[in-house]
Amino acid sequence: MVEPRSSLRHAIPKGVLSYRDTAVCLAAVSLVLILGTLAENIVAAENRTKVTREADLKAAFLYNFAQFVEWPPEAFSKPDAQFVIGVLGVDPFGVSLDQMVGNEMVRNRKIVVRRYRDLREITPCHILYISPSETAQLDQIFQVLRGKSTLTVGESGGVMERECMVRFLLVEDKLRLRINLQAATAARLTISSKLLRQAEVSKTK
Amino acid sequence: MKRATIKRKLISVIMGTSLTVLALTCAVFIGYEYVTFRKALVRGLTLRAEMFAGNSSAALAFYNQADAAAVLSVLSKDPHIVAACLYDNQGRLFAQYPSSTPSETFPPTPGRPGHRFDRGHFILFHPVLEENRFLGTFYLKSDLSAMRERFQLYSLIVLIVVAGSIVVAFGLANRFQKGILEPILTLAKTARSVSECKDYSLRARKLSEDEMGLLTDSFNEMLGQIQQRDASLRRNEGEIRKLNADLERRVQQRTGALEDANRELESFSYSVSHDLRAPLRHIDGFLGLLKKRCAAVLDEKGHHYLNNICGSAKQMGKLIDDLLAFSRMGRSELRASSVELTGLVQASVNDLALETEGRDITWEIGPLPQVAGDPGLLRQVWANLLSNAVKYTRGREKPKIEIGVLPNGNGEHIFFVRDNGAGFDMEYADKLFGVFQRLHRADEFEGTGIGLANVRRIVSRHGGRTWAEGKVGAGAIFYFSLPK
Repeated sequence: MVEPRSSLRHAIPKGVLSYRDTAVCLAAVSLVLILGTLAENIVAAENRTKVTREADLKAAFLYNFAQFVEWPPEAFSKPDAQFVIGVLGVDPFGVSLDQMVGNEMVRNRKIVVRRYRDLREITPCHILYISPSETAQLDQIFQVLRGKSTLTVGESGGVMERECMVRFLLVEDKLRLRINLQAATAARLTISSKLLRQAEVSKTK
Repeated sequence: MKRATIKRKLISVIMGTSLTVLALTCAVFIGYEYVTFRKALVRGLTLRAEMFAGNSSAALAFYNQADAAAVLSVLSKDPHIVAACLYDNQGRLFAQYPSSTPSETFPPTPGRPGHRFDRGHFILFHPVLEENRFLGTFYLKSDLSAMRERFQLYSLIVLIVVAGSIVVAFGLANRFQKGILEPILTLAKTARSVSECKDYSLRARKLSEDEMGLLTDSFNEMLGQIQQRDASLRRNEGEIRKLNADLERRVQQRTGALEDANRELESFSYSVSHDLRAPLRHIDGFLGLLKKRCAAVLDEKGHHYLNNICGSAKQMGKLIDDLLAFSRMGRSELRASSVELTGLVQASVNDLALETEGRDITWEIGPLPQVAGDPGLLRQVWANLLSNAVKYTRGREKPKIEIGVLPNGNGEHIFFVRDNGAGFDMEYADKLFGVFQRLHRADEFEGTGIGLANVRRIVSRHGGRTWAEGKVGAGAIFYFSLPK
């Protein structure tokens, strides 16, 4: 890189662009182009990893809710009943949720992940993630879940704000939570004050 | 300490004991405090760590670094906490306190759960758990200045207590010792004045009914006994003194009488010998006239008688002369001066030339010292002893006379004259120096028996002694001593 610059310095005082100089200019231009493409690719890759990281984080949060929220005893059919995490609609987590849950236990209950393509498939579950793909049926969904001790989790914004107990939101690129304490209390769920500390508490609108 | 007064000893004992006990108590107290304070510190900090770990579990679970930092920032209320941080479950630094500290100052990975003391710091790792799930590790580092401050305070308290105790102990010891010491001091004072004034009528005052009271009583009783004995001793002494004076008076009386008798005896013997000389001179004179006139008339027997009378008269005259000299010497004054004995002895030997003529006598004269004495009298001593030696070696084949000084005279010069002459029987050694005492017959060895008496008299007047050793036929040694 040092060599071409020193030759340029030699050429300029003469006031004439030689054939060699033209070649050097072309090479420089092409280098800029290549670098530009590379940067674009890096940004795209970063975005992709960001998306996956966000999904991983959400999966981890879902799993963590099991520890910071208390369910009433009647939420479990028998003392050693499984702890069910449900995902309704398009699953954004992929394998990361399964990896996270693995063979872990919470309060001596085995955690299982169940995926529901639509509302009709829903079985009793303790945490239900409502995918943005289900936005259209929210009314029906909440109708079905009414009176059940299910912690509903969704993305923030729009109609979700109404009854979803926990919503994910991004603040300055960081994943944060918004919790509707009233809704959770109505579902006889006790949310740990530690979890509440991490979240923004809202009310049913 | 040995010379210190009882008062000082007593105070030292009291203070030493109390301060030792105090120091021991303080040491035990501080030791106990150190252990319990350390335990309390560990318990307090562990409890705090548990609290913080519990409070930060949700922050770790939901990746809320801001909340974790907020939780940790509460630690700023405790100035002793130097640093604290949270690691996530992967062991990465998640949040730290103080936030301004560079992250390199924290351990790069969390250590094993537990606590330790390290270079004046307390270091603790505590796992962050939620429902038994491991979420991360809490790290806490606290300085021990709280402990240090506490012990500085304790040291100050101990110092104040000890100083106060010294003052109080000294005051109390000073007060208490009076009760013990006063009887002792009173007794000691009495004893001292008794021994100084020799006044056995003094009595110690009894101040208590304890052992000291007993001692005082015994002391007083002893004093009483001493007083009694002293009185009887004084009485006896007076009597003895009276007896002594009486005795002395009587001795003086007797000595005076004796001196008078002696003087009378001397003047008597002087006048007798003096008065005896006149008739003797008449006898001698008329004997000469008789001899001249009647020489032809007398037969041989008559001549023999006449000669016998003549000899006896001469012998008597010599006896009288010697007696006169002896009695004169008793009265004459001693004229003391320094006497050079070597020359004196030599002169005495020379004086004997007439008697030693024709005899082969071996003289052995050793070195002789200078002495203090009357030269005329000392010369008489030597003349007597030497003429004796010459006389009694007569008839010996090889007569030998030795004169000298014994090497180890104890405070006096001991002179000797040794001969190998006739000698004498040791049984009569005491009589040798008496007046008119003779161990040999006059026809064997002539003499008046005055010579050795004179020697003894002169030597004793010089403060010396005389004695002799001998054996019949084997010679004699005569000794006399003079003080140095």
